[in-house]
Amino acid sequence: MLARTITLHYRKIIDASAARPWDKLVFDDTYTEFRMQAQYFNQQNQFRTFGELRQHVPGTEQLHFLVSAAVRGYLQQLNGWIPDILDNLGRLFLKFNTFQFEIINSDLLDKSRHQVAINFYSDPLLWHDTLGSYLLVSAKPAEAPTAGAEVLTNLFQLQPYLSIHALHTEG
Amino acid sequence: MERKNFLKSLLVGAISTPAVLAACSKESDSVTPSGTTTTGTTGGTSTGSNSCTVAPTETEGPFPTKAPASYVRSDITDGRTGYKLTVNITVTNSSSSCAALAGALVDIWHCDAEGNYSEYGGSGMQSVNYASVHFLRGRQTTNANGLVSFTSIFPGWYSGRATHIHVHVYSASGTSLKVTQIAFPEGSGTALAAVGGYAKGMTGYTYNKSDNVFSDDTAGVEIATVTGNTTDGFTLAISLGVPA
Repeated sequence: MLARTITLHYRKIIDASAARPWDKLVFDDTYTEFRMQAQYFNQQNQFRTFGELRQHVPGTEQLHFLVSAAVRGYLQQLNGWIPDILDNLGRLFLKFNTFQFEIINSDLLDKSRHQVAINFYSDPLLWHDTLGSYLLVSAKPAEAPTAGAEVLTNLFQLQPYLSIHALHTEG
Repeated sequence: MERKNFLKSLLVGAISTPAVLAACSKESDSVTPSGTTTTGTTGGTSTGSNSCTVAPTETEGPFPTKAPASYVRSDITDGRTGYKLTVNITVTNSSSSCAALAGALVDIWHCDAEGNYSEYGGSGMQSVNYASVHFLRGRQTTNANGLVSFTSIFPGWYSGRATHIHVHVYSASGTSLKVTQIAFPEGSGTALAAVGGYAKGMTGYTYNKSDNVFSDDTAGVEIATVTGNTTDGFTLAISLGVPA
């Protein structure tokens, strides 16, 4: 089977139910940052929720980016590993360089309604085979390996909020 | 205790990832390692949906630390090239005889030498490299003299606007106190002339008197003092009075 090149997309949802330290810190700091940045777009204090701001105030799509500044330091703490997604040996195995932060909902007066997502996009993988519900993949090497060379692989299962983001066609 | 909790939450969290993602934190007692406390987590019944996922067996860590430093930084260049510019902003309290305002948060942002801002491009839904996405943006807290200092590059310009730096001043608790912009002195011998608009040159440049933001500033209070040269870099200084 000819291996296809794919990238994976993990959409990590973080909300008031966040229990792990990293998630809680991201939750708290993005809420604080949202409340700070929203003031620029809400100088008459007319609006309360992110949804209202998006609907009524031009330019508020920038809030995704502006609030993402609060996430920057936490992403660096991951050392390039996509969190939560484990291979069948129980190890993190996906590397990332790109992300996209989104505010799903928020409320300037009710922190419990704050909900954000961090979208992680994996570095390219070679998808060699599918075994039952598992995908057999390996990190895509910079150069094509020589014939007969051993390629180390990871076996993992697709799960909620994890998807194949892109297929790369071979030119 | 904190470490214990963290260890447990790491194990539990990773095991129950799909459940957590489904916004209903769950754990299974059977996978809680002995020796760690089993209380204090959010309750719920196991869905079993995660029973087929292998538990993490990794060295604990990395230990998350609170990172207000994510955005709080003095060097905001992030690899952008240009003539070095040190930005010194002194914040004073216009509600208190213009006394120095300590502990205020000062955000600045400006465009690069080509006139581009850091932002999500296009539809705003593109993924970006996390290491460089916030170039030429940063936050500092004023010291006892009301001063913040940033290391950056001399901004370029784009059509319709004079060269400028955006500033947003917040109180220590994050309440917006002032949103404003800093303008640059113009004319022969100024930094603006020495930089010459970088590669673009100055053809089509919008000067302060024609700028839709600065044109009403006849007294020039928004214009900073800028000294230095292209070899050693430039230093910008301005004082901003905000009602705190």
